[in-house]
Amino acid sequence: MATQKSVLNDSKQVERAVSLIQLGARLQVLESETDLSYERLLRLYKEVAGRSPSKGQLPFSTEWFLTWQPNIHASLFQNTYEYLTKVSAMEDIDAIMAAYRLYTEQIAACGVEPLLSITRAWRLVKFIDNNMLSMTKCSKCGGHFVSEAYENSRHFECGLCAPPARAGKGSAAGGILLH
Amino acid sequence: MSKEQLLAEIREANMTYLMLAQNLIRQDKAEALFRLGMSEEAAEMISALSPAQIMRIASTNMLLCRFRVDDDMVWNLLTNHSATKVDNDATTKLHASILMAGRFAEAV
Repeated sequence: MATQKSVLNDSKQVERAVSLIQLGARLQVLESETDLSYERLLRLYKEVAGRSPSKGQLPFSTEWFLTWQPNIHASLFQNTYEYLTKVSAMEDIDAIMAAYRLYTEQIAACGVEPLLSITRAWRLVKFIDNNMLSMTKCSKCGGHFVSEAYENSRHFECGLCAPPARAGKGSAAGGILLH
Repeated sequence: MSKEQLLAEIREANMTYLMLAQNLIRQDKAEALFRLGMSEEAAEMISALSPAQIMRIASTNMLLCRFRVDDDMVWNLLTNHSATKVDNDATTKLHASILMAGRFAEAV
């Protein structure tokens, strides 16, 4: 059943792959989220993006999501994603794409550069699904933030309520500032 | 402002709201659910309304859209009367966005 050819399904897969490429997803994301063959994806990628896909491994560390600025970006995305999966019965990858679009929109409204790529966002969802990271409620503001898998929620304070000593003091344009 | 005028303004606001909601839902349902903060069932009902139905629903003495910030923390962040030490406009707005997105996720 799983390998039954369906033109309709095929066109849906292609459409999904195209949206992912337009959002800047790496080839590994496409391979995992569609049933299309590697060769077809490669051709599609070149056609849509106008260049060859980046090579090399995906960023694999959970650490990145726990550093101060990325954590704030990741938390905004994940909250949006969780809302979408709760209110509607869409497939995970479609929810990731919709949440990612909303995330970039919100970030732009705050005048900050989007730090999270679609590939990272996808990884984040996988990490949380596999209990390698989790969402913990901040004991001060009550917001949900990306945290280590077994964070103690009683004493957990988020990066915005209790920023680390030197956070947000830089002058890099497009970053989150605290002054 | 006379009572008739008030009612007319409420009707107009309701109409604008329902029409905007329909547009949003028809364009991209998933995004609309987040923007409007409503359930999929409610969204389906609204998107199926005919213009005549919208007119009828809008003509009431109540506003149909409800205030969404029902939380001191978020309200303080949005208005910048912040209790936190963070004092940057963009950053407090970002904080409020995270809290609001999380609240909807909790509520459903």
